[in-house]
Amino acid sequence: MDENIRYMFHPRSIAIIGASNKLWKVGHAVIANVLYGDCLRRDRTLGYKGKIYPVNPNEDNVFNLKCYPDVLSIPDEVDLAVVAVPAKFVPGVIEQCGQKGVKTTIIISAGFGETGDEGKRVEAEMVATARKYGMRILGPNCLGIYSLYEDLNTTFARAMPMKGPISFISQSGAFCASVIQYSLEEHFGFSNFVSIGNKSDIDDADIIEYFATDEHTKCIGMYIEALKDARKFLKVARELCKKVPMVALKSGRTEIGRSAAKSHTGSIAGNDIAYEAMFRQTGIYRARTMSELFDAARALAYQPPPPPEGGIAILTNSGGPGVVATDAASDLGLPLAKLSDATIAELNRVCPPEWSHRNPVDILGDASPDRYSDAIHVLLEAGEVSGLIVITAPQAMTDPETLAKRIVEAAKGTTKPVIASFVGMISSPAENYVEEQGIPEMSFPEDAVLGMHALVHRSRILRREQIWQ
Amino acid sequence: MAVDVVSEIFARARAESRKTLTLDEARSVLESTGIKFNAYAFCKNLEEAIQAARKIGYPVAMKVVSPNIIHKTEVGGVKLYLQSELDVVHAYEQIMENVRKVMPDARISGVSVEQMLRGTELVIGVTKDAQFGPMLMFGLGGIWVEIYRDVSFRIIPLERVDAWEMIHEIKGIAIIEGARGFEPADKKKIVDYIMKVSELVNAHPEIAEMDINPLMAYQQELYAIDARIILE
Repeated sequence: MDENIRYMFHPRSIAIIGASNKLWKVGHAVIANVLYGDCLRRDRTLGYKGKIYPVNPNEDNVFNLKCYPDVLSIPDEVDLAVVAVPAKFVPGVIEQCGQKGVKTTIIISAGFGETGDEGKRVEAEMVATARKYGMRILGPNCLGIYSLYEDLNTTFARAMPMKGPISFISQSGAFCASVIQYSLEEHFGFSNFVSIGNKSDIDDADIIEYFATDEHTKCIGMYIEALKDARKFLKVARELCKKVPMVALKSGRTEIGRSAAKSHTGSIAGNDIAYEAMFRQTGIYRARTMSELFDAARALAYQPPPPPEGGIAILTNSGGPGVVATDAASDLGLPLAKLSDATIAELNRVCPPEWSHRNPVDILGDASPDRYSDAIHVLLEAGEVSGLIVITAPQAMTDPETLAKRIVEAAKGTTKPVIASFVGMISSPAENYVEEQGIPEMSFPEDAVLGMHALVHRSRILRREQIWQ
Repeated sequence: MAVDVVSEIFARARAESRKTLTLDEARSVLESTGIKFNAYAFCKNLEEAIQAARKIGYPVAMKVVSPNIIHKTEVGGVKLYLQSELDVVHAYEQIMENVRKVMPDARISGVSVEQMLRGTELVIGVTKDAQFGPMLMFGLGGIWVEIYRDVSFRIIPLERVDAWEMIHEIKGIAIIEGARGFEPADKKKIVDYIMKVSELVNAHPEIAEMDINPLMAYQQELYAIDARIILE
């Protein structure tokens, strides 16, 4: 792995080129985000703690920091430069950053390869300049990055995600902002977040190589329109996937989707058959929608893969969602556990006689937190159960917060994956609690099933050499 | 040296500015990697064809050999399951008549007489993807591939586990494993053949397209029956 890329995520000092006091300028939002984590805050507890050097020939001070006319005037080493100036000035800035010995430069500015051949030419020249000095470039035409455990936000987005185990790459900038909003609603967090832009130099393979070395990253998520060096990516991802689970949403699956991708980032989305082959070879779990991408990422980041033997158990207090989950499992080819006589006898002991006596395990509308807890214990100890989905439809007798606590307690110490679904609830304290305790919670049962499918896929990928031998 | 045989054949085709190898050339290339073909003889005339059929043993197949004809079936240039000398004579005459009618300008070098194997028809193909490069296809061959497209793909070079997984990905895996009275095929041998093709193409990026179709699974062995190799 290139150490320069590590410095992008862990810089000791940052120059913000184009930093500005003028509200509504990109360079204003970027420096405010670096200083305060979230550009709308004005205290530095959530902001980057290293050295910050604003650069702008038209300002003396930016946010009370001394501002330098150019990067070469900074009396210190600069690990990371973030460039937010109009496109025509960027090549000159890159030359200066190179001379300065900057390790990586993030070019936020747009107006390059995505605009046509002339833009591509300028981009290639900048990369040649960077190579000459041993510097790396992220972008151009990107939103920037978050390195959450450094409290570092170099973007111009108005949001700060929570810290957590997912590292994410997106080829679409605005997608990033939406994803962060969604993560805040659903209460899951990120270790790193990269808007990768035009990939003039640093590409997907470079970024996942770094992610795989990052101690906080438990799952890598990707939004891909087209890979730049597809063969390199396959080789790198195949190795890394043995270590870290990965999930990707590759758009342009259809002919019409591909032409939409071409007008979006100018990239050729390519033959989907080849991408599908690549996903199968690398072991990357392929998501088909945005919700699948994050359902799978959360499951893979927070829960262990199931043991190879047995099937999934579905525990519910309502028949309908149980059937929906069962259909979803069947569509995905996810086997359900067939309950043994011993397990049925155990459940008879803790449930009223009307319980379903089969999987899905319906413990009835009046199920108390205690009954859930007992049933969870029985199911997680059953040899035929490899993973558990706990569904709750809120009913008059349900106390979601107590239930959330009991689910977490009952699942403690198990090596089997558990996913919860408080059906129809969004951003409730009960959901946030289980999520914080490491049990992913999905609002609909079929999404919980998808998460479990990603874990079963992971388990198979980890054993693929044994399966074939 | 297997590689030398292959390079020589490619060089000869290029020297003659041909992109498509003849079946003989394709056979030699694939045989150099260890892929087996059914018994086969090139015959310049009917007498040679009768001799060859006797030597190979019935049933046999007969196919027209012509540098101008790629799709032999379409011109009536293929006759299968010939059981006797009489069949061979009839087939020869019909093939000559059909081809002269449909493609009067085609130069006919002769016919091939081949051992007729009845087994599960498989296919291994190679195409090039603009982003990922050479890509290998596996599936049920013959008419199955044309009608059902029951195939799986992997990017070359493959690892053995990829070959194993792609075999199990097709719907027709039950047929390969011997469902409903089909004779089961040796899956490890299929893996071997897939790997041979992957290695050949990986070593020779000048191969633009290839297919072995059908590849016959017959009595725990695999025999390529027909093959096509197209160079860049």
